[in-house]
Amino acid sequence: MDMQPFADGVVMNRDFLRSVFHSMLKARILENKLSSLYKAGKIVGGVYLGRGQEAVSATLGTALIQGTDFFAPLIRDQAGRTAFGEPLIDCTRTYLGSAQGPMRGRDGNIHRGRPQMGMPAMISHLGAQVPVVAGMLFAKRLQGTLQGRVGATCIGDGATSTGAFHEGLNLASVERLPMVVIVGNNQFAYSTPNHRQFACADLVEKARGYGVGGFSVDGTDLLACASVIGEAVRRAREGGGPQLVVARLLRLSGHGEHDDGSYVPAEIKSGHYGRDCIEVAMRQLVEHGIATVDEIFAWQDQFAEEVQRAVAQAQQEDPPDPYQENWTALSTRFSTPQPCAVQ
Amino acid sequence: MSVTYIDAIREAQEKLLRDDPRVFLYGQDIATFGGAFKATKGLAEQFPGRVFDAPISEDAMIGMAVGAAIEGMRPIVEMQFADFSSLAFNQIVNQAATHFYRTGMPIPITVRLPSGGTPGSGPFHSQSMEGIYAQYPGLVVLTPATVSDAYHMLIDGVALDDPVIFCEHKFLYRWLKSKSINGDHLPIGQARIIRPGKHATVVAYSAMVHEAVRAADRLQQDGWEIEVVDLRSVKPLDLDTILASVARTGRLLAVGEAFPWGGVTAEVVSRVCEEGFHLLDAPPQRLNARDTPVPYHPKLWAAHRPTPESICEALRKLLTF
Amino acid sequence: MPTVPILMPQLGESIAEATIIRLGISVGDTVRTDQEIIEVETNKAVMGVTTLCDGIVSEIRAVEGVSYSVGTLLGLLEVTEDEVARTGVDTLESQETKRIAANQSSNANQAEANLHFALDDDAYEEAPAVVPSVKGLPVPTGVMGAHYISPRMRARMDDLGIREADISAVAGTGAGGRVTVEDLEQFLDYLEAWPSTHASPMRLAVADAMRRSWTRPLATVGLPVNLDCVLNHRREHSPKPGLTLYLLRAFALALTENPKTAGYLIGDKVVHPRSFDIGVAVQVEDGVVVPVVRKVDQKSLRDLIAEYDDLVDRARRRRLTEDDCRGGIATVTNFGTFGLTTGTPIPLPNETLILGIGAGMKKPVWSTEVEVFLPATVADLLLTFDHRVVDGGGAGVLLNRVSALLQNPGAL
Repeated sequence: MDMQPFADGVVMNRDFLRSVFHSMLKARILENKLSSLYKAGKIVGGVYLGRGQEAVSATLGTALIQGTDFFAPLIRDQAGRTAFGEPLIDCTRTYLGSAQGPMRGRDGNIHRGRPQMGMPAMISHLGAQVPVVAGMLFAKRLQGTLQGRVGATCIGDGATSTGAFHEGLNLASVERLPMVVIVGNNQFAYSTPNHRQFACADLVEKARGYGVGGFSVDGTDLLACASVIGEAVRRAREGGGPQLVVARLLRLSGHGEHDDGSYVPAEIKSGHYGRDCIEVAMRQLVEHGIATVDEIFAWQDQFAEEVQRAVAQAQQEDPPDPYQENWTALSTRFSTPQPCAVQ
Repeated sequence: MSVTYIDAIREAQEKLLRDDPRVFLYGQDIATFGGAFKATKGLAEQFPGRVFDAPISEDAMIGMAVGAAIEGMRPIVEMQFADFSSLAFNQIVNQAATHFYRTGMPIPITVRLPSGGTPGSGPFHSQSMEGIYAQYPGLVVLTPATVSDAYHMLIDGVALDDPVIFCEHKFLYRWLKSKSINGDHLPIGQARIIRPGKHATVVAYSAMVHEAVRAADRLQQDGWEIEVVDLRSVKPLDLDTILASVARTGRLLAVGEAFPWGGVTAEVVSRVCEEGFHLLDAPPQRLNARDTPVPYHPKLWAAHRPTPESICEALRKLLTF
Repeated sequence: MPTVPILMPQLGESIAEATIIRLGISVGDTVRTDQEIIEVETNKAVMGVTTLCDGIVSEIRAVEGVSYSVGTLLGLLEVTEDEVARTGVDTLESQETKRIAANQSSNANQAEANLHFALDDDAYEEAPAVVPSVKGLPVPTGVMGAHYISPRMRARMDDLGIREADISAVAGTGAGGRVTVEDLEQFLDYLEAWPSTHASPMRLAVADAMRRSWTRPLATVGLPVNLDCVLNHRREHSPKPGLTLYLLRAFALALTENPKTAGYLIGDKVVHPRSFDIGVAVQVEDGVVVPVVRKVDQKSLRDLIAEYDDLVDRARRRRLTEDDCRGGIATVTNFGTFGLTTGTPIPLPNETLILGIGAGMKKPVWSTEVEVFLPATVADLLLTFDHRVVDGGGAGVLLNRVSALLQNPGAL
């Protein structure tokens, strides 16, 4: 998406906001469908949704330039993936076990990615993608093509406790790389609340510790996200070094679809940060004349159709065949035969 | 004019930096300082912008190398000691080693691990981790024992598209000298018969190859001819050469410096039993370090790992079975 | 109308089952896509089972309050063809087609429904505690020692066609006195200097048979038999029956009266004779062959002469077929023809009895009627038997009966 959040440095770019909202809406519809499929027993393994984080994720994905920038999506970044250009069918194929998905059945759900496209595939260990994005940018610097690029990843409040996050952000800062790390503080890491996760008053304070730019934003507010995240991306792109954005919001689903999140207190659910960013966005877009209600309903129907088609197609495709699999983890073929427990 | 094992490693990196613009070096203290063991001495000056000092962040060093490899570079990451690679374990085995299998894109990083013990190095500067990394699918694990192999195998390793764990032995760094770096240059995956024999086979790798040869020399005086096989690479393992040797001798002793549970020697013995059972005239044996952390005191250390004496003793038992 | 199954989903990675809290539907209800129709509880949370498409509930099998394994069929939906096309959903009918197609291909394991996670109906149960059946040392300790033959030794012996009996002459230098491959090779080198001939196939066949027979505990008993009646009978007949033929006939009749003595032990079963076919040992150049005379009990001595003579003749001319030598239950051997008076014959490996007779000698025999020693032609009658099946008593009964039958050759 070659879109700048700011049309002339100050005023919001209308097309940018509409585009972000498209990705938010499409992601929500897709993920609602995934949840249904899970509860109908069609999905094997875990389903982790990004309900509630669409504004943050889609804004980032839209501000990044596919083909130039790097984006390492994490667990709750369906909206960001869609914004960055990942086709819907990649998602449905991976979840529904089609052999034609990008991971070909060898990994599943949100572990999918297309490294050739600048969108690496995450591993389960949180924080581990931060240094990977730094490395991608480092390579570009050595190759002389770093100018104008940004690398970004999203993590949760829980991941800020990991050594990998610490080491990765520190290294990116020491190397002055154009990185944007967005912390989606959705207030719970699985069932663990913030006060059991970190002791500083606000996560954004860590930015000072790492020597990077720091931003706070209300993750439920589309206009605020566009403004803040847009600014963070711009600063990184213009050589300001790594930028840490801490977005406050609430996870609007369980940790995974097998979890009902019954430990989230009711006050938080009904508080400011418990707002649904899509509802907020809809109001904002209509209020500011950026989209009409009719348009929004039309988009809903259109995206529901797209999602339905992607699901239907993936469901009919064949799963991987263990007897046709090439059971090797190395790309090199050595002259001596390799070990195989089962031939 | 002689070349040490560490000279060979330095020269290999020099050649790589000169010939391949995709190569860069990342490690703690490797730039101006030239590295804790001087494996990169002078390279930062010779190749500005290609040799970098890393913060003490083994996880991020490897994670960053993986990202750089995704974007077309061939990083060589130096861990200051193999023992510290445990902090990078996740990025090595879960990020780098699984990447090709999961995404179809191989990750051509090389991780240099100064491995093995020297007198007084203690529990955290002496470990041999080749068995641990060999366990995980998706890694190539190299264990050069000669000066020439240290040179050629590092260059060949970097040329591979897959992640390589290069276990260089600290004891051999300055103790092992050769007239030149030009040896027989075997390909990765092929073991070498470093000493022919007919009464028993010793399979070893890295520093233990030299201890095995000394043991063989001693037994020669009693009329025993011991064949020594240098594995060169732990993964891929050259079972063909090992089986050919056991076919000649009928008796097998696998020697390694790593901890005794599982590991390279267990893998060798188990594969020979699987595919060469009928070649064995005696039960195959293994000799490893003791099942304790590596002790600090030189006297304890000397008794912790296999020595020519303990190898001789194990061989005598094998020979008289 | 196509049918879509409603299955218990897997609601968590280690979840094996869930309990039905509330059934939100009844048979006949219309349902929409993504509608939550059944509420279930796992040990982690309460959640809803959701529909995959629009349809009408045609069957409900789940019951409130009951736990079902993941993959259990909870109900069925009737669905239109259009809906199947719209949603791409798997129907029971298409699953059945796929299953049949998969079973027909070599990859039968692929038949599992590709998207539903299937489990056996019985949840994993803990296995009952194992009671050890072997007391004492479970691990054999005889790995070392004089009898140990290493895998390489075994392979080399197979290579050369050598048996353990053959290497009894080799002194072992291995641990505990075992014979190593080096010992064997040295021994073979040593033997190169000795004159040798090639063992003929006949020789090897006899060697193999005797080696196999010897694995049983064999015992031999004997008694002297008066041959005068037989010799007189023979003198007056033409054609003359062979002495061995009298023995054959007497043995057969004695066996019909005591069939258990010819039993063959396999495991805990004793196999009994079904036909009294008895072999005759015939010495040929470089070996022995044993043609079998069929149903000896059912033919008289006179009737047997032609068959017997033919077999012996063909045996000498090496014209016997495999069938000629198969299926005997015992053997008769006359080593008196070699001038031997006594011996311990070895039965064939597939038989448990061999009856042998030595050369007849003129001997003084006490006569109880006249109370003097009278001259008689006496030969030793020997019976070797498998002592696992037969004991001395049974052997004695058999031998005495043979001896008695030989005193009345006219009835044979």
